[in-house]
Parts: sequence; structure tokens; C-alpha cells
Amino acid sequence: MIRASCISKTYRGRTVLDGVDLSIERGEIFCIVGPNGAGKTTLLRILDLLDRPSYGLLQILGEDATGSESVRFRIRRRMSMLFQRPVIFDTSVFDNVACGLKFRKMGEDEVRGRVKSALREVGLPGLERRRAKELSGGEMQRLALARALVIEPEILFLDEPTTFLDPESANIVNDTMVRLSRDRGTTILFTTHDLYEGERIADRIGVLMDGRFSQISEALEILHHPADLRVAKFVGFENILRARCLSWEAGEALLDLEGQKIYAISGGRCDGDVFVCFRAESVSVGVGEEPIASPRNKFRGTVTRISAFGPFVYITIHCGFDIVAMLTRRAMDELMLDLGSEVWASVKATSMRVFAGAGDAAKKTGTEKH
Amino acid sequence: MMKPKIVFLLLACLVTALLVSGCVQQKAALRIATTTSLYDTGLLEEIERAYEEKTGTDLLITSQGSGKAIELARRGDVDLLLIHSPPEETAFMSAEDGLYHRCFAYNYFLLLGPPEDPADIKNLTAIGAFARLHQLGRSGNPDVRFVSRGDLSGTHHAEIRIWRSAGFNYTSDVQGSGRWYIETGKGMGESLQVANEKDAYILADTGTYLAFRSKLRLVPVIASDEELLNRYSAIVINPGRHQGTNDEDAKEFVNWLLSEEGKEILTSFGGDAYGAPLFTPLEEGICESEPFSCTCSLIP
Amino acid sequence: MNEIVEGFIEAIRLIVTLDPEVLEITVRSLVISLIATVLSAAVSIPLGSLLYLREFPGKGAVIGVIQTLYSLPTVIAGLFIFLLLSNAGPFGFLRLLFTPAGMVIAQTVLILPITTGLTIAALSGIGREVRDTLLSLGATEYQSILAILGEARFAICSALLLGFGRAISEVGAAMIVGGNIRGQTRILTTAISLETSIGNFSLSIALGIILLLLALGVNLSLALLGRWHH
Repeated sequence: MIRASCISKTYRGRTVLDGVDLSIERGEIFCIVGPNGAGKTTLLRILDLLDRPSYGLLQILGEDATGSESVRFRIRRRMSMLFQRPVIFDTSVFDNVACGLKFRKMGEDEVRGRVKSALREVGLPGLERRRAKELSGGEMQRLALARALVIEPEILFLDEPTTFLDPESANIVNDTMVRLSRDRGTTILFTTHDLYEGERIADRIGVLMDGRFSQISEALEILHHPADLRVAKFVGFENILRARCLSWEAGEALLDLEGQKIYAISGGRCDGDVFVCFRAESVSVGVGEEPIASPRNKFRGTVTRISAFGPFVYITIHCGFDIVAMLTRRAMDELMLDLGSEVWASVKATSMRVFAGAGDAAKKTGTEKH
Repeated sequence: MMKPKIVFLLLACLVTALLVSGCVQQKAALRIATTTSLYDTGLLEEIERAYEEKTGTDLLITSQGSGKAIELARRGDVDLLLIHSPPEETAFMSAEDGLYHRCFAYNYFLLLGPPEDPADIKNLTAIGAFARLHQLGRSGNPDVRFVSRGDLSGTHHAEIRIWRSAGFNYTSDVQGSGRWYIETGKGMGESLQVANEKDAYILADTGTYLAFRSKLRLVPVIASDEELLNRYSAIVINPGRHQGTNDEDAKEFVNWLLSEEGKEILTSFGGDAYGAPLFTPLEEGICESEPFSCTCSLIP
Repeated sequence: MNEIVEGFIEAIRLIVTLDPEVLEITVRSLVISLIATVLSAAVSIPLGSLLYLREFPGKGAVIGVIQTLYSLPTVIAGLFIFLLLSNAGPFGFLRLLFTPAGMVIAQTVLILPITTGLTIAALSGIGREVRDTLLSLGATEYQSILAILGEARFAICSALLLGFGRAISEVGAAMIVGGNIRGQTRILTTAISLETSIGNFSLSIALGIILLLLALGVNLSLALLGRWHH
């Protein structure tokens, strides 16, 4: 469906995209996440053929999309895009939605039918005659979605479709995306800064950092096995600690963490200063006697901070260094934890990722696969 | 979104209207450029009505100020020139831009001034009055001012001629000789208003003065002096020099103007509106001699 | 002061009695300026769109020149057209001098910079994202510019209104090119100029009032058209 290789874009002397490789299959829902300024919007604009890449190869729907305007126009007509802040034309809702169909010179009866069902699809049935600019923000975004999908695109791009939406509108937009992919086989690419939105609806997620993909994979893989330290930070690894590598043997590294020896699975050879990362939910918390059974990484410390997060609680345990653990509220109550409680924290070696320490990104030494 | 069809329809309608309005006037038409002082009296409208009724020829009269009117004639944009500036008429004829030159009427310029006559000139000749105004103005008498059209119109030319007759070099002695000499660069009406506001003397044509009389404090100080003669002429443009000008209809019109019928209108015009006739038609036998020195016989 | 009051009374009288000469002058003024406005729209909307869309070296300079020409003196515009249309000029053979058509041309030239410049401004006010949206919805370049013009319609309408206002109120070009010929090319402004120069101040003011009423009428009908369109 989409084959992009080495797409680069320089804009006013600034490199926005720096060698993007991407391959999307028909019917796939692909999510692009990344921090602000990573180039997500630029990439979508290039893929929707609104902008030309400064460099790189791009094939869309089986055609070379870097060639003549007429070819690009032909391809563009088989796709559509929903912008982050959609433009609503100062006409009726009907005229807004019908816009793309009129460009394609479709007959009036069919236009009417399609507009009607598109509006129903986004939860705005029967609003055809309303003046579009009088809709609420969420309704406008859904209107824009209806306008983009009414032309039945083979590929639909959505740039941060839910960022400014209330939860209800956001759900409608997300449900519509899933339905389109499932029922019509529409290929969908969307950007978000909310990784969990990507996790909920995307087949695959690409993490775009500084103009290139740091990692492209399924959501769980990215959440638990980030490709490098920056992805780890981005996907929310709460515990990122400096350590020193003591030895490495058969995929297992022995590290020195502030004087404590810890073990971590590490696919790559480890060497010198590193970061060791793990998620808060990978930390088990206990009280009383030292747990005898595995895991091998055990730390004793004091609870210094408790912060609520919905039904969960984050607790910070100080044990020479700070570890953040996540518990259910119930588990915390059962353990009768409070500020100053003495606890054990343990983390499995397999939950720990090891990344090279020098600099932030640099070379990758973390685990690739289990 | 705008309906382009409606716009196109509208456009088509208006362009059609344009073409029609541009083409409809193709019957016999005589284009006349005239000095404003002649037109502004209303004489030409009366002549136009009478002549169009008699001959059916459409008179297209544009009133433009002598300088512009002569320029229009010189470019062949009109068929006939009505003018009151003898030196320029001579120049025009000698450049062969004109085919026939006929004078047809005259009246007098008026030297207007404040009723108190601060320069005390009302018993002088025009030349004497101008000399005295110059002397008082130059000496810095704050009550003596002179407003000039300063626009090279026929009236302005007449004024220049009088300064010269009084022995001055106009450009070096009069223009820029002090704050007493005010050049407006405007038409007769506006210049009269300026003179009125400033309590100044001014040379004006009779018609415009009469039209503005009720709005003016100024009164005629000197009238019907031979130096103030204002002679009106008609010049048929030379079609040999300017392709496409209509000398036939121009000739016919001039001859009508010189005919008894034309003279009758000239003589009677102004009685109703101004209380006195504004023009005196020129008669053959008189016009050839001083001070008129022109031709007023019918064009052969 | 008296003249102003008399002017109002005279204006009412002329309007109520439908004075045929005044009516004729008024209609001529309106038709000439409307045609000039429509012609300038027909040129400036495509031209403005093109200048807005296309990037080329010296674009800023071109727009700068257009904006400078907002200040084109009416007399100079008139003189320019006069020299072209004069018998001695290159288009003298068309015999358009002292005709309404000639005046239309002069007024069109006069207001073209304003309508073009403000069309560009109106389109620029719409913003890139509208164009992106249209293209992403599959618009051809032509379709997208039509839609952008549709979005900018109010701003473009006021650009045209401004052009119309300049056309119907100007006297310099109409006087030079039209010649103020009674029954042919006399329009409200040249008539006002004439009546002022011969001292008919109240008639001048009356004609001025009629001109303003005319402009009001055009404004209102445009506003109504806009509402009716919704």
C-alpha cells in the first residue's frame, strides 16, 4: 500500500525528516507516535502528497508518488486526510461533507445518500442543513472526519484526530477508524502523542524521533521492549537508573547499581556505564522478611512518596536510589503501606532493559526480543 | 460557495450593455471641444437643442478649459474647437491644425474688485488699472491683491496680454513678484470664489461672473474697455492633418452659427437667466477690422 | 450653509420628480461603474488567484507595485487612457474617446490595482490549511481555487465594493476620457464638477446626495444577495 524509503524533508534549512523507512499493508491501522516536533505531521503531509519529500523514494497504491503532478493527483484522489485542526468551510454541513464528492463530479442522488450515511457514521445524523460553523468543536472534527471518509478513500490519514476532543467525540472518532478498517479494509495512518490510544486501535506503532523511526512494532512490544533509551523514556518507563556493567555472559548482564549487584537480561554485550530501565508495574512490593524465592533483584527501602492514579497508586521507594512501583490501591491497603514504611522491592531480570549510557540515544544495547 | 454561473451571466449582460452603449451613437455626430467659460454660461446647451432639432446632427460637446480643449483639437479628438484666445488661435492655424477659423461673437472681460475699490482704479483704463495694481501690490499695500487663473486659459491669456500692454514682462515682473499676486490654477468659478474670500481684484468673463453674482461681494470695477475685449472663435479641425475628423458637419455647424438663426440665439441668450444678453454676434464688415481682426463670413 | 440645506431639498425634489436628466445621469453613472467593477473583477479575481497561488521570483515586487497603484491618481489613470484612446494614440481608430465604453475602460484600469491587491489579500486571509484540506479532498487546482474564492467571498465582495466606490466617486478620469458630454458621457461626478464650477452649489450637493444613495443601494443589494445566498 505504502512503501517509503529514506524519506527526508528539509524545511528552511532545518531537517524535519531524516531518512524515514516505512511499509504499510492494505487494511492496516498504523499509528505514528512521537514527541512534538518529531516530524509526524510533516510525514503525513508527504504521504498524503501535499508536500514533496526533499529526498527519498515513495510508492503509494502501487505507483511512484514522487513523479509528475498528474500521477500524484490521481493517487491523492484515492486517499484523504483529517487534519489536526480541521478547516470547516463556511457553508452548510451538507456542502462541507459533499465537497470531495463534488470534486469528483458525482451525481446528486449518490452524493445525498453518501453524505447521509457518512454523517450517521460519525454520529451527526440529520444535521445536513445546519451551518457548519455553528457546530461545537467536537462536532466539527467529526464533520471533518465524515468529509474525509465519504469519498471512501483507500488510505485515510488522520493527524492527531483526538487531541482536542472531548472523550465522547474521541471515542466516536476512534470507533469509526476501527470500523472503517474492519468493514471496508481502509488503510489507516494516524498520529497521536497518546501511546495508549495507539495501543487500543493500531495494529502497529511507529515511534518517530527526530525525523526517523526509532522503532516500529506492535504496541506491546514497544511498551515492554523499547528499542532504545529514548523510546523507553517516551513510552513511559518510570524507572531509569544509572548503573555500571560488571560482566556479561550468555545474554545476562551483571550490573552494579549504586553498590548493589543486579541482574538484567541483555541481548547485546554490555560495557561500562549504562542505564537500566524497568516499568513501575514490573516492581513487586513486599513487607516483612526478605522474600526467598526469585527474583534475584531485591532492594530494601523506605516509602517516601505516594501518589494516586485512578485505581492505581504510584509509590516511590528510596533504597539509595529511587524506585517507582505501581500497585493497585487494594494491594497497598492490604500491605498497610504508608509514608515511611519499610518495604522490599523486587524486579525480575527479564523486566529490566539495559541501554548504553553514554549520551542519550547512541547505540542500542537493549534487548531486542525475549 | 459562489455560483460561478451567476457571475458569468451577470458579466455577459454587462458586457453586452457596454457594447450597446458604446455603439449606439453612430448617427451623424459632431464632436466639439469648448472652453469652459463658453459652456458654463449655458449658451451651448441652448445652441445644442436648437441645432439638433433643426439638423438631427448630434452635438457632442466637451467643455475642458482652453488649454485642454486646444490639446484635444490638436490631437484630432474633436471636429470643432470653440475658443477665446486669439494668440493661440493664430498659432493653431499657422500649425495647419485648423482648416477654417471664424470668429462669431464677443463680449467683455470684467475687472472685478471689492466694492470699496482699495486701489482706487475705477476711473482708469484697464492698462492703467493693471499698472496701478502692480505698483501697489509690489509696494506691499496689504489691501491690494490680484487673483489670477494661472491656468493658461483664454481668460488667463487675456490677462497676460494686458500685463504686457502695460509694459510688464509677465513671467519676471508679475508672476512670483509677491504675495499680492495669487495664482489659483483653477477654473473661473473657483478663482472667483478665491478672489471673493481674499477681497482681491480679478479678471473674469461676463458669463461666469453673472452666474456667480449672487454669491459674490466683488463688483465690476472696470468693464467694456477695449483691452478687455473677449472674442469667441470656432475652428474647424483640418482633416488633412487628423484622419477621420468630421469637417463637413463642422463646417455646416459654423455656418449655421454665423447665419441669422445662429445670431438670433446669440443675441437673445442670457436675457432670461442673467437679465442682460451675454454675447454680441460679430457682423461681417465689422469683424475684419480692429480690434477684432478676424473672419466671420460663411465658409464656402 | 444655506446651500447644504437647499441641496437636500433639491435632492429630494429631483428624486421625487424623477427628473429625466438626473435620472439619465444617475443610471449612466451606475451602469458605467458597475461594468467597470465587473470587468475588473473578471480580471482581478483570476489574476489575484494566480498571483496568490504561484511562486515566482519578483512576486513580492509585483504585489508591491500593485499596492502602490492603489494610490494611482484618477487624473493620471484618465490621462493614460486618454492618450491611448485619443485619435493620435495607438487605439484612436476604435473611436472610444468620449464614449461610455472609454470611461468604463478608464475606470477599470483605475480600480484594477485595488481589486487585484485586495483579492490577493482576501485569499491570503484564508490560509494554507484551507488549500491543503481541499487538495486532500481531491480537488484539482482549479476546483481548489474556486472553493478558496468561495471561502473568501465576503472579503472579495468588499474589495469589489471598494473598487466600485472608487469608480463611481472619481471625477478625474471620467472627465478626461468621457468629456462630460451632455446626454452621452455626463455622469454624476462630472455633473457635480460642472455645476460647482458654474455656481450651482445646491444642485451639486443634491447630485452628491444621489450618488451616495446610489452607493448605499449597491451596498444593500450586495448584503441582501449575501444573505439570500445563505
